[in-house]
Amino acid sequence: GQTQKMNLFQSITSALDNALAKDPTAVVFGEDVAFGGVFRCTVGLRDKYGKDRVFNTPLCEQGIVGFGIGIAVTGATAIAEIQFADYIFPAFDQIVNEAAKYRYRSGDLFNCGNLTIRAPWGCVGHGALYHSQSPEAFFAHCPGIKVVIPRSPLQAKGLLLSCIEDKNPCIFFEPKILYRAAVEQVPVEPYNIPLSQAEVLQTGSDVTMVAWGTQVHVIKEVATMAQEKLGVSCEVIDLRTILPWDTETVCKSVAKTGRLLISHEAPLTGGFASEISSTVQEECFLNLEAPISRVCGYDTPFPHIFEPFYIPDKWKCYDALRKMINY
Amino acid sequence: QSRQESPEERPQFPGASAEFAERLEFIQPNVLAGIPVYRVMDRQGHVLRPSEDPQLPKEQVLKLYKTMTLLNTMDRILYESQRQGRISFYMTNYGEEGTHVGSAAALDASDLVFGQYREAGVLLYRGYPLELFMAQCYGNASDPGKGRQMPVHYGCPERHFVTISSPLATQIPQGRSLGFWGKSSGILGQEIPVSLGKEPRESGTESLGFGQKECGAFWGRNLGNLRRNGRRKVPEPRGPFPGSDPALPAAARGPGYGLLSIRVDGNDVFAVYNATREARRRAVAENQPFLIEAMTYRCGLPESCSGTPGSPWKSSRIGHHSTSDDSSAYRSVDEVNYWDKQDHPISRLRHYMANRGWWDEEEEKGWRKSSRKMVLEAFEQAEREPKPPPHLLFSDVYLEMPPRLRRQRAELERHLETYGEHYPLQQFQK
Repeated sequence: GQTQKMNLFQSITSALDNALAKDPTAVVFGEDVAFGGVFRCTVGLRDKYGKDRVFNTPLCEQGIVGFGIGIAVTGATAIAEIQFADYIFPAFDQIVNEAAKYRYRSGDLFNCGNLTIRAPWGCVGHGALYHSQSPEAFFAHCPGIKVVIPRSPLQAKGLLLSCIEDKNPCIFFEPKILYRAAVEQVPVEPYNIPLSQAEVLQTGSDVTMVAWGTQVHVIKEVATMAQEKLGVSCEVIDLRTILPWDTETVCKSVAKTGRLLISHEAPLTGGFASEISSTVQEECFLNLEAPISRVCGYDTPFPHIFEPFYIPDKWKCYDALRKMINY
Repeated sequence: QSRQESPEERPQFPGASAEFAERLEFIQPNVLAGIPVYRVMDRQGHVLRPSEDPQLPKEQVLKLYKTMTLLNTMDRILYESQRQGRISFYMTNYGEEGTHVGSAAALDASDLVFGQYREAGVLLYRGYPLELFMAQCYGNASDPGKGRQMPVHYGCPERHFVTISSPLATQIPQGRSLGFWGKSSGILGQEIPVSLGKEPRESGTESLGFGQKECGAFWGRNLGNLRRNGRRKVPEPRGPFPGSDPALPAAARGPGYGLLSIRVDGNDVFAVYNATREARRRAVAENQPFLIEAMTYRCGLPESCSGTPGSPWKSSRIGHHSTSDDSSAYRSVDEVNYWDKQDHPISRLRHYMANRGWWDEEEEKGWRKSSRKMVLEAFEQAEREPKPPPHLLFSDVYLEMPPRLRRQRAELERHLETYGEHYPLQQFQK
């Protein structure tokens, strides 16, 4: 159908617009969403759909999510915004102890599947401790919710619409550094990209590389470097859904290549790469030619002035890949 | 003996000291919405009631004035430097200067302050040097905070100002719990942990902070709570959350938590001073916490916060929370101009000083020139300084560095030996 050039925040707006148009029960709410949001993701929606469907909440994450759960329980579609993923923690109890467990604890008598929580995520160049975090690992440890992270505008719209329509509570993290920087032709009409399906962006035979969000672009570049400098053929996978994650696609790839590199900004210890690594060594032990490599943030809070040294950039990924090849 | 007096006829619920009611009547939530705002001066700096004039000595009044104006100058220069990309982020204190210096002057220099992030005037009043403000904003090697945080996240143990963190209202329960231990441990002496911050969040954090009042009283420590209330009118005060109506004052929440509360004109330095001074005196004497809501307005040129990480909004010339936050979208221009021209803590105090012959145009000109020079010198110095050595990325996670982290530090060192050309090493100390 008809496409339009959109950056990441515009693709989010488009998805929300589609959702509000299609689903008369859908509401969008969060801090400052009424005027358009601090990242412009909700520009124009209040004018179009009215103040009863697009509205501000008090400055209270616990309340935002709790309120969203309540709406979802009544059967309406709740799309909640947390202003920065770094500020999601006051809502942790509502997410983990309430949203995630609603269906299970009630024997499926009740659920809040109509809840989607969106939050800007990841490093941005100068965000420091409280505007850079990637907290997916905390939520990956919580059965009952879904966690989804897009790498681009085209992916974001399709994945967000799937989250909104999915009958389970979903958390959708949006790489803030890509809000303006990433631009693509995106369909104006709604479309879905399935959850829990990883995408192979580039096939290869020597090494599998897995990442999500912004980091996918880093490993894509590393794949090119590896081909040019080392003659190494890389298979690049965007995981897309962190929970429940697509073990099949990743394991199938590693069974073929024998080498796996996983990379994320979040700290190494307990980061989601640990889960992937552990599963892959269970499933693909005899296929492995080298230990699985994880290139991640250090085990520190996200620093301000030291960000260039902290992040798992292409040089660190390239170096790890080189070591794996030479193992 | 009347029916009401017999024990069977009074409510026996524990903790309730009430009577029964036979008429169904709800308590109005906005019964406290019209809490009067305490002020000392009118907008022309005339003291309305002589008894309320704190009669501060001239040097102190000049210090209040110079701190506010120096802060304002520093704000303008650092705000500009963010717009030029020289620092990554900045939050101005425009319009709130009076709440900073008024409260700082009323507290003892050793009262421990837990701030939110817009209290730089307190630190400046306590003598924090411009060089160190700038060093933190630049994250350079002189920054006592070791370049870890975004600009304006100052901290100073010597001046009893706990390092700022971005999350909102987290300082409230922290400030309160310190109140428990101070007296019994004898460490704090007469210091009062004071928690300063913006509009209260309607959240558990606040409840946790305020709701511990019983404990505070029991342990006999004191806590003042100065809530700055930079009112930012949101477009629909009557959303589905009536309890968070911005017209409902923070001061009205205090009684709900059992706090003695007051609303003061935050543009009136003496009102802030008097209220804080009295609250402090009584908090120590009576061992109970206080809530002070200082009404002000985030105003002036230009934004009040610039460079929200990743934000796509363009700047404009009216006070914002951040560059990302175009407050012209939700405040009329007239309103902001009024506040800026008519009602500002700096101009109000200047009128007071001029009325007493303590200040004139010439002094003003001279001070503007010298304060600007001071700020620019500190600024240029901060720009020139290198950043701290990269290995400081790894320290202070714990008191002792875990082996795994030591290995990561060594990894980075090795990595830089090979790939150092791809990193901005020339900007950093070795």
